[in-house]
Amino acid sequence: MTESLPPTPANPPNGSGDADVLATGLRFGYRKNTPVVDGVDFRLDTGRVHCLLGDSGSGKTTLLRLIAGLERPDEGEIKIAGQLVSGGPKHLPAEDRPIGMVFQDYALFPHLSVRKNVAFGMRHRPRAERRAIADELLQRVGMSGFETAMPYTLSGGQQQRVALARALARDPKVMLLDEPFSGLDAAMRDAVRETTLKVMREAGVAVLMVTHDPREALVAADTVSVMRRGKITATGRPEEVCVRRQEYRGEGAQRVQYERIEVRGTDDTNSATA
Amino acid sequence: MAKLIRPWPLACLMICGLVALPTVTVLSSLFQPFGEEWNHLAETRLTDYIRNTAILGVAVCFFAALIGTAAAYLVGNHDFPGRGFFSWALILPLAVPGYIAAYAYTDLLEFSGPLQTWLRGTFGWGRRDYWFPQVRSLPGAVAILTFTLYPYVYLAARAAFVEQSRCVLEVGRTLDCGPWRSFFRIALPLARPSIVAGTLLVMMETLADFGAVDYFAVDTFATGIYRTWRGLESPTTAAQLATVLLSVVSLVLLVELLARRRARYHQLSSGRAAVSRTKLGIVGSAAAIVVCGLPVLVGFIGPAAIFIFMAIDTGDGRAVEVVREYGSNTLVLSAIAAAIAVALSLIVVYSQRLVRTRTTLIAGKFAGLGYALPGPVIAIGLLAPLSWADHKLNGLLTAGFDLQVGLVFTGSVFAVVMGYQTRFLAVALSMLETSFGRIKPSLDDAARTLGASNTGLMTRIHLPLLRASVFAAFLLVFVDVAKELPATLMLRPFNFDTLAVRVYQLASDERLEEAAFGALVIIGVGLIPVLVLSLLLDRHGRKAPAPPTDEVARV
Repeated sequence: MTESLPPTPANPPNGSGDADVLATGLRFGYRKNTPVVDGVDFRLDTGRVHCLLGDSGSGKTTLLRLIAGLERPDEGEIKIAGQLVSGGPKHLPAEDRPIGMVFQDYALFPHLSVRKNVAFGMRHRPRAERRAIADELLQRVGMSGFETAMPYTLSGGQQQRVALARALARDPKVMLLDEPFSGLDAAMRDAVRETTLKVMREAGVAVLMVTHDPREALVAADTVSVMRRGKITATGRPEEVCVRRQEYRGEGAQRVQYERIEVRGTDDTNSATA
Repeated sequence: MAKLIRPWPLACLMICGLVALPTVTVLSSLFQPFGEEWNHLAETRLTDYIRNTAILGVAVCFFAALIGTAAAYLVGNHDFPGRGFFSWALILPLAVPGYIAAYAYTDLLEFSGPLQTWLRGTFGWGRRDYWFPQVRSLPGAVAILTFTLYPYVYLAARAAFVEQSRCVLEVGRTLDCGPWRSFFRIALPLARPSIVAGTLLVMMETLADFGAVDYFAVDTFATGIYRTWRGLESPTTAAQLATVLLSVVSLVLLVELLARRRARYHQLSSGRAAVSRTKLGIVGSAAAIVVCGLPVLVGFIGPAAIFIFMAIDTGDGRAVEVVREYGSNTLVLSAIAAAIAVALSLIVVYSQRLVRTRTTLIAGKFAGLGYALPGPVIAIGLLAPLSWADHKLNGLLTAGFDLQVGLVFTGSVFAVVMGYQTRFLAVALSMLETSFGRIKPSLDDAARTLGASNTGLMTRIHLPLLRASVFAAFLLVFVDVAKELPATLMLRPFNFDTLAVRVYQLASDERLEEAAFGALVIIGVGLIPVLVLSLLLDRHGRKAPAPPTDEVARV
């Protein structure tokens, strides 16, 4: 059950306002009687970055896949921009939804150049236009000069940015990011995250980002939902959901201060030395 | 269930059903009365079939396992002059179909052959002055099949030995195991599952062999089925006979499945570490060269040389004529069958990727079992339903439109191409399955979210990524079809002979010289995948990823 938090601008009550994604009563399991997503109500608003926080196996990636149309819900419905995309007999496949998705492993097509990867989703446009848009997007994510490079020659951070440009090329209303920074080393992560968020804010899309790292949610998100065993257990502003605590470890000269982050609605805590 | 009623999975199930048709027909013959012919067979020939097939199967497996394992251990774990050459040369006999080797050695070793003639001339012997082994006999068939089939064991065993070698054997040495002890106590037990798997492939090929035993007049189930069908003109009895073979094959298949499952656990990947090979002394090296050289000599160099001399000797153009006349048939038929097999397996594999239900997975596995069916069994299993379909079609068309279309299915290449699909779909299937498995599922998802439909995903992502495997699958099926004898012999349309069939006919008519060039071409075609395979093995060096035996199997 969703832990009730006071309705705030960041947490408007269900059903009101202009939601970009509205999911109600979602249920889904890969096998019978073992629900992975177990009765989720969920909304996502335009121009906002929403983080889905949870342990591995909590169902957050599956929720993302349901919204993307890569899985078909057993129960419940999903609306994107007011249009019913899943519900009852209706199931709009992923290729027909106004979404863009960035995968954990980036999933760049290994046989296509960077430019062709970005242009992949723009079949409906003439060739010259495809090329111009692709190059423009690559510039926006800071990957100009790599147009003809093949994906395997790129570093993880570069691949991530190409994947982002590729997902944006279809003018999506909703961007779905599945652990988009987990494959990067810590130093790189901050820089890439910053670019990503900036580009997406400029594009004015609704962003749903799955992560298991509360730190990331604190830095990046406007709102956070916590997922546990297929249910959303808390929703709110990041500082409401994730509580920072300063603690000390060790004795005497060895004593260090570190930060501990507690997440409401799970037993999950996350800490790091400061 | 609803998931299956969509175009792709439906197509997958239909393909698998089509491939399963011969098996179903053969099995259904058990429900028909066992007629006069069966009793006749049981009284006269059946014991011969059982005895010969059993002896042949067991003996060939035993000797092939012996040769294959010994050669693999020598090449994999020892150093001696010529090791590099033998490493790939030992695969060459796979290029020589059993029947081709049988023709070659009969020509060389029979009474009027060059060897015996030379012996008589040199020593002045008469007909009764000496004893010489009879080639066209059961032991002869055992020898021929052993020397052409041992590479299956060699390949599997070598991969196992090379993978295990380093640490395990060295540990053995430190524990005071001498070279022989470490072989019997460590290397062999570890490689056993792989050796068993390779040996069972030999068993299946032996059971399926028709050409060699037919030429040697050794009555086995394969020739028995053919003869019952042809001579007794009793398809039902032939099918009933085929069920016996089918059940033996199923048993072998089951054991193989279990053996392979265990083999997987035994592959302790030791990284890219170089294998430390034991250097052999002079005596050891000489012995190793003999052990590795003999199979190559008998299995490949011998037959090839015999046919080369024969072709030069004939030299009057008749030999070339055979190839010109029947080569194009082989080419066209193999290309058609291979293209269809690749297309069908792409559909099957792709459907399994789209809809991962138990039904599609099992259907795919089922479709792959056809490779274990001997050609005569497939032919018997197809002829009955196809004749029925021809009959019905003509009945309908005559009644409705007063049209006579003739034998659409059995009278055209349709029957034989369908037979090839049953037997060789597995070849393309296993090739493509492996490569498909290497494409990350996230690529599919990414393409979907970027607007690609089912067909778009296939044409824009999968096919470009699979190009090499598609080509390889085509090549493997092509070569298999070009070499295939019994299925072609029984299912081909009237007056449509392939090179293999023509060579068989010429050999049966004692006009082998005319077939020499054709036989050479068959060996040459068979060499293509063998060479590709040895190149692959070489490139991956020690780390040859234990080629999935059934993939290698059909080369």
